[in-house]
Amino acid sequence: MSQVGNILRLSFRDYTHEWRMSGCFVLALAAVLAPMMILFGLKFGIVSSMIYELVENPINREIRPIGSGRYDQQWIDRYGSRDDVEFIIPKTRTLAASIQLKSDQSKRILSTELMATAERDPLLANLANIPQNLFEVILSRGAARKLNLSRGDQVDASLARQFKGKRERVHLNLEVIDIADALLANRSVAFVHLDLLLATEYFKDGRSVPELGWSGDAVDGESRSYPSFRLYARSIYDVDKLVKSLEEQGVRVKANAAEIATVQSIERNLSIIFWIVACVGATGFAFSLGASLWGNVDRKKRDLSILRLLGFSSRRIVLFPVMQSLYTATLGWLLAVLVYLSFEQIINRFLAPRLNIDQTLCYLISDHFFWAFGLTMVTAIFAAIIGGIRAAEIEPSDGLRDI
Amino acid sequence: MSAPVYSLKNVVKQRIIENAGFRLCVPSLEIQAGENIALVGHSGCGKSTLLDMLALILCPDATDQFEISPVDARSDNIDILWQQKNQDRLAQVRRQHIGYVLQSGGLLPYLTVRENIELPRKLLNLADDDSISSISRVLGIHRQLDKLPGLLSAGEKQRAAFARALSHRPSILLADEPTAALDPITARKIMAVVMELIKGLKITLITASHDWAHVYKMELRILDQEAGPIEQGRIYQSTFRD
Repeated sequence: MSQVGNILRLSFRDYTHEWRMSGCFVLALAAVLAPMMILFGLKFGIVSSMIYELVENPINREIRPIGSGRYDQQWIDRYGSRDDVEFIIPKTRTLAASIQLKSDQSKRILSTELMATAERDPLLANLANIPQNLFEVILSRGAARKLNLSRGDQVDASLARQFKGKRERVHLNLEVIDIADALLANRSVAFVHLDLLLATEYFKDGRSVPELGWSGDAVDGESRSYPSFRLYARSIYDVDKLVKSLEEQGVRVKANAAEIATVQSIERNLSIIFWIVACVGATGFAFSLGASLWGNVDRKKRDLSILRLLGFSSRRIVLFPVMQSLYTATLGWLLAVLVYLSFEQIINRFLAPRLNIDQTLCYLISDHFFWAFGLTMVTAIFAAIIGGIRAAEIEPSDGLRDI
Repeated sequence: MSAPVYSLKNVVKQRIIENAGFRLCVPSLEIQAGENIALVGHSGCGKSTLLDMLALILCPDATDQFEISPVDARSDNIDILWQQKNQDRLAQVRRQHIGYVLQSGGLLPYLTVRENIELPRKLLNLADDDSISSISRVLGIHRQLDKLPGLLSAGEKQRAAFARALSHRPSILLADEPTAALDPITARKIMAVVMELIKGLKITLITASHDWAHVYKMELRILDQEAGPIEQGRIYQSTFRD
């Protein structure tokens, strides 16, 4: 066996032989690491998910035009191709964008807001299906609940108009292809293909929609423009720039600028606070480990000197405390993970319900555990090298006689 | 005639420990292969310091010559190795040619007696043979091989320490008052066995002792360490006289 192999074997034998002392080192390390993990778990669980929700919530990234304008398809497409725009789709006049829905499962007739949608709509980000034609609809959870509908059901859509002194109503059978998530939970919204939104506006304006068999005046060939649009910036950090760009073009818009600034400020300040705490903790952890190793090397001065006397070179001796440090780091990390997971369960199962908090208070993802392991190892190796250099510097002659 | 195992000229080492100390001078010392040497002198006169220098674990402050020429091996100018801080070569010489027995035995507490004895052989990648059993049988510790050192008596520990120091067949055996902690009868028994062993293996023995009777009985060549009368401040000078 090589010198390195022998040193690894000896360091492990010594570590297990002195299991009480090794256990104390492991406990000392876990005592520093576990609270840091719990702190980070809380930060990540409460703060990060809150901030993530605020940052990711498309409502915070929405830029709403004030009043009506005239936006043609070319204008819409130009904005849609910008890197800082995630999604843009035209809107028709608010009064024309409503429809009455009735299902077999409910006696209620629900007046519902119509919204055009398309692929990559942030409000429907988690849904696999998007309306591809005039006969498909996605309902907000609120609308679906009121009409007692679920995915795959059929719903009767109708709309009425006064045309040439006569009241007319048309019906259209739509398939509910999905239910939108909680973002618009309290509103009754039907997401449809843009063509259906335009068809309802045409109908209400007394024009014909041949695709649906709705009669009326013929649609003239003039190019279509829209009074409004639904626009979402790619991130909250793009909102300000987009607002300025639109205002430069004379488009008056409204965005959640104040909320975004607050969110960014909270995110920044809490991150600073966390990193201060984490740095203080990590420094304490490094000193704790370094001090343990230093003390351990001093305690083992005699045994290390005997190894030197037997013919181990000083370079190899460095490995002895380094390996023991790695054993301590690995076991300390494992213990800290176990302690953390226990506390995570206690916090989430017992504390969160008492605080009436409807979200996970404390959690970490697997990446965090690996990061903690990496940080522990790097700190341990750094501290161990100091211990190792000290071990190599001990004169065997002094060590043998406890000088 | 082959070169002496050790050739030292004007080797000086000064040691200061907590305001007290001494200066050790070795004007001239040659030790031939197979010689059995006793370093005698009062406590604190520098016997262990000289042994540590001979074991290459303590660097002298100054030397005119410090050579080691183990039997059937290349010579090394230790002075140059220390100057070059060539720790690897110093460790290699120690590993291959020197066995060292400490006053306390110096067994590693986390290894069994067998593993302690095997360790020098493992470091040299020597094949496992029956040498461990035979040497432990001769030293009377063959029943203790699977025990940890903490379970052995003082005499057994010293026997195990000798077994470890001899297991890889070194050409030099250094022993620092190896029987000082033992009762005289046990001490003599152990030394008698060791003397028989090293005679067969043609090993050079250098042992520190302050037991004159013991030294005379073993017919060791005596290097008397005479405490010098010159007190220089708080430093005492010791010189060697062949």
